[in-house]
Amino acid sequence: MVHALRRAGQRLPSGGSLISIRPHRTWRPLVSILTPSRRVPVARLINSAFDSRLSAAEAALARVVHEGRFALAGIRNHRYRARLDNLSQLRTYLELISPPRPRFPAGRRAHLLELWASRPRDAKIEIAESVVVTALRRR
Amino acid sequence: MIEHFSPLKGRRILEVGCGDGRLTFQYARTAARVLAFDPDRASIEEALDQQAALDIRNVAFRWGSIEHLPARGAPFDVALFSWSL
Repeated sequence: MVHALRRAGQRLPSGGSLISIRPHRTWRPLVSILTPSRRVPVARLINSAFDSRLSAAEAALARVVHEGRFALAGIRNHRYRARLDNLSQLRTYLELISPPRPRFPAGRRAHLLELWASRPRDAKIEIAESVVVTALRRR
Repeated sequence: MIEHFSPLKGRRILEVGCGDGRLTFQYARTAARVLAFDPDRASIEEALDQQAALDIRNVAFRWGSIEHLPARGAPFDVALFSWSL
């Protein structure tokens, strides 16, 4: 990770920005069924490799700042929602996340299928994700 | 959320871990040019299909990791690590 940041830094001029977007450590992705009248939470996705990878990412960012290559420009949390029309889109959405991918806790995918089978007209599947954006400035 | 820290309009962007381009296509039309990497071949193929459908011409998608990027070359204004650290 440090090597990747250093390589990117080699192609940035002084004052250039390096921006890291990564999942929030504690606000896990929430899958819900959205009906015209309410939102029904179904599951928070889990990822067993999550904590160690986030720690490594944070350490790598801190390292290149410590080395003097970059200055910290700021950190912000951001939340967004993706709305999907069906289960097929949900499968694609999850498959296209870079590995290691999040997964449903035991029994929650079956619960989603159950709820989805009895959904009202115009229901959608919603994934709410939270990210941390860290900005570094090339010195 | 990105533009809070750095405007992307007219900028030269390096995106590391672009996946299927779901973020790339949101800003590509305003950027000057984009070089986007991902180590997952299927994701890059999906991104290329979408790029053709959207007729976006200022993005070059590459399969591989940033280690394949030469240390010297045309500079970028912004490097985005999207879910890739």
